[in-house]
Amino acid sequence: MATANLPTSHEHIKPWTPPTFWSIAWKALRRKPSRMLGLGILVFYVLMAVFGPMLYPANLPTNPANIYASPSWAHPLGTDFEGTDVLALIVTGSRYVLYSAGLAAFFTVSIGAILGLVSGYFRGWPEAIIMRIADFFLTVPGFPLLVVLSTVWNFGNPVSMGLVLGLTGWAALARAVRSQTLSLRERSFVEAARGLGLSRRQIVFGEVFPNTAPYVAMHFLLAITGSIYLEVGLFFLGVVPFSTNNWGVMLNLAFSQAGAMYSTRALPYLLSPLFCIMSLTFGIVLFLGAVDEVLNPRLRSV
Amino acid sequence: MGADLKVIGNADQDAQVECQIRDLTVTFTTDSGEFPALNHVNLDIIKSKITAIVGESGSGKSTLGLAILNGVAFPGKVTEGSVDFAEHGNVLKLRGKALRHFRGPVVGTVFQASQNAMNPLARVGKQILDLGRSHHYKDPRKLLHEAENLARRMAMDPSRVLTAYPHQLSGGMRQRMGIIMALVLKPKVLLLDEPTTALDLLTQSAVLEIIRSIHRERHLTTILITHDMGVVAEISDYIVVMYAGRVVEQGSTHETLRDPRHPYTRAILRAIPRLTGDLNRARPLEGSPPDLTQIPATGCVFRSRCSYRVPQCDLVAPILESVDTGHFVACHQEGLIRD
Amino acid sequence: MIEVRKLEKVYPPVVGGLLSHNEVRALRGVSLSISDGGALSIIGESGCGKTTFGRILAGLESYSGGDIAMDGIALNSLPNNERQPYFRRIQLIHQDPYTALNPSHTILHAMAVPLRIQAKLQKKNDDWVLKRSKELLAMVGLDPVGTLYKYPHALSGGQRQRVVIARALTVDPKVLVADEAVSMIDVSMRLSILNLLSDLRVRLGIGIVFITHDVAAARYIAKDGALCVLYRGEVVEYGQTDEIIVRPVHPYTQAMLSAMPVLRGLEEAGPDRYIPLEGMDDFEGEGPGCLFAPRCRHATTLCQEQHPDLVPWDDRLSSSSHHHACFYPIPRNVVARPINRENAL
Repeated sequence: MATANLPTSHEHIKPWTPPTFWSIAWKALRRKPSRMLGLGILVFYVLMAVFGPMLYPANLPTNPANIYASPSWAHPLGTDFEGTDVLALIVTGSRYVLYSAGLAAFFTVSIGAILGLVSGYFRGWPEAIIMRIADFFLTVPGFPLLVVLSTVWNFGNPVSMGLVLGLTGWAALARAVRSQTLSLRERSFVEAARGLGLSRRQIVFGEVFPNTAPYVAMHFLLAITGSIYLEVGLFFLGVVPFSTNNWGVMLNLAFSQAGAMYSTRALPYLLSPLFCIMSLTFGIVLFLGAVDEVLNPRLRSV
Repeated sequence: MGADLKVIGNADQDAQVECQIRDLTVTFTTDSGEFPALNHVNLDIIKSKITAIVGESGSGKSTLGLAILNGVAFPGKVTEGSVDFAEHGNVLKLRGKALRHFRGPVVGTVFQASQNAMNPLARVGKQILDLGRSHHYKDPRKLLHEAENLARRMAMDPSRVLTAYPHQLSGGMRQRMGIIMALVLKPKVLLLDEPTTALDLLTQSAVLEIIRSIHRERHLTTILITHDMGVVAEISDYIVVMYAGRVVEQGSTHETLRDPRHPYTRAILRAIPRLTGDLNRARPLEGSPPDLTQIPATGCVFRSRCSYRVPQCDLVAPILESVDTGHFVACHQEGLIRD
Repeated sequence: MIEVRKLEKVYPPVVGGLLSHNEVRALRGVSLSISDGGALSIIGESGCGKTTFGRILAGLESYSGGDIAMDGIALNSLPNNERQPYFRRIQLIHQDPYTALNPSHTILHAMAVPLRIQAKLQKKNDDWVLKRSKELLAMVGLDPVGTLYKYPHALSGGQRQRVVIARALTVDPKVLVADEAVSMIDVSMRLSILNLLSDLRVRLGIGIVFITHDVAAARYIAKDGALCVLYRGEVVEYGQTDEIIVRPVHPYTQAMLSAMPVLRGLEEAGPDRYIPLEGMDDFEGEGPGCLFAPRCRHATTLCQEQHPDLVPWDDRLSSSSHHHACFYPIPRNVVARPINRENAL
């Protein structure tokens, strides 16, 4: 038969090239609409924080004649106690919130992951010291500690805020990464890496760390939401001096100045930052699944 | 197929069937589709004999073991067929209490890693009592007495092993404890899933010796699931060779090993290094064990690794046919292989 | 040539807690040698010290006494930091191919990381790393292009073990120590892995130390090499592989060989086959005598009181390499024999 001599189809297939990180990420996102929604929400807030404040003057105009206005075309979210547009406050306030929360999460994750890896892999005295310090931060309640810290240190600016939240928040991650590392270091691929002459740095960060990466990345996103709650809480309580406008300050003022608990007039003023915080958290939670899939090869469909 | 199926051991005139499996099909549903882990399996388990189900990973042997206990769990599902036990009917229809009283008192099971099948926080003796209680066993003292007797039979000191926690026992002792826990309720069927896989050769041979002698003593119907031809050859009366969810050969162990007819059985036997004889006779079997997601839907499941492949093998799945008294093979080329 | 001289390993006692135990002597003066491209199989039960031996050889564990010499250089004479390059040339192939590869990395990564270390030493570039990765994967019988960018979970057990072997080859080893390297692989794939190891011996002159409890696999690998039987950290019998299998003189070797399943129908059991049931759990305690005496059915009072040394067996039929540690060396015929048939496989 003539067809018998035809080469089989797979001989024509081009050499297979590995998918790039971005194509894997895109595939993981496309798999579920909820993940795309989460990404959309995140992108929306990031754009708001980066470019939004450019749309408004440095000092937002006040209008004593139009305080606590209801939502209208001119003021979609109404105005505050000074007659300032609430939408403008939300947009300009987002930068502080996202910037400091991002920094806080970055510090939390870097400190937590590195200390967790080091204590779990090297054991011995580094483990003993790191874990005792971690236990200290885990036993002392975080929020009251921050309140106490705020009395001795003014960490109102976003970098200091991120640093403080990072320094107080790494312990849980360090413990989790350590226990994962303890089990990973017993796997034979770690031993094989030692036998092949890889350096300790290569083993800890090149071999062990990628296996904890899905967890660490998820912790990063959750640390962002956690940090937003904490900083907004601090501002709401008024223990940190207001230097710039942000969502926490708005909540504080809505509560203390506008008496939003007693009067319906200031309701849009109170609910706007709350809605932002909740929707941002929602977006992050929806996005989590994709992160796990991207960083965990076993979850990927081949 | 199936209706007029033969008794696999009809070389024995007076063989009675303990368990009759008909057209059993188990499907696994995953993101990328549905895959048959078992494909129309027909099997008779002969009473008071040791039947070995042998196969590699992906052969469906463990799924078959679970199906016999009506224990196939998500994402697997029994989509067709029946497992009929004499006096108990179709096990796949049992639910709740009836099922619990089937597993244990009727079929005792020893799992691959008995150490993981035991509660690490309770002493072994207590676990045996708990077992009795959950099956409403009237006399706990009698139960312990039975366990002590079995322990002694298995060359263990009962006072020592029954008061120990599982982690205080060696692998071989835990495996024997697993067998004891399967036997104290005096089942008539014993299901052993890879009972010796994690064990040393010496311990393995001792455990096999124990299984053999208890089987003889109690006339148990024993089903042994394993990947190890050596274990099969040591103790079984009947052998069922599985590949990619299908039975490819079955018959009496002695006859099947002496004269294997399916290319897979022959290839496997040839791929086992032996202690004596010519080493150059050993031939590796090319290709990989079947991947559940890539089993061809039509034709013979073994054809990609088979050296006797003909065009017919791509099109028609061979059915299990008798080649000799009590010896069945599913292969189009069976007649040619013989010579 | 690697010579191991009187290797000792003592694990310190663990006091307190549920897992407390006395000092464990895992190796008691083991002396063995592996020639370049040679094969040595070590058999014994779990706890006999065979795994510890392999790990020490691969530099993954320290030893408490004795010495290892590589091509005449005694490693004890070197400072600690200079021993590592020597140990790197002895690579361990782990039992479990499922944990021996990092699940987070592609096969290319697994190959490239150790290769880059070599590339640095040999002043080679990244192209060489890729080329060599492909070369080594092809050498172990894998399709390089199809395998390189895969993750371990997409490979079968047999394929993973091939990758593990290819990865070990990245450092140009002198010796591969295979610790139960086929016991977790499907039966149909085992023989091809064993063939691969034998093939590497021939092609690259790599010595193989095959550690197992499967005597038949040990025989297959070391058909032209040596077989060593280890019991509780001691060599009890040593010699040319087929000679040990056909004419074992130590009762422990005889028990190990008896324990091999007989393929009834194809083989018949050896006339002296004997499977000991008693005493299989009594590993604790040791008297002054032979360590195997409590489990040995041939033991006498002499065995209880005195410890037998490893001595050559001076029987006119045996070769000079055959050593045993038994006061009553009697060869017994315990292994199964193939039944001769016309229609043999």
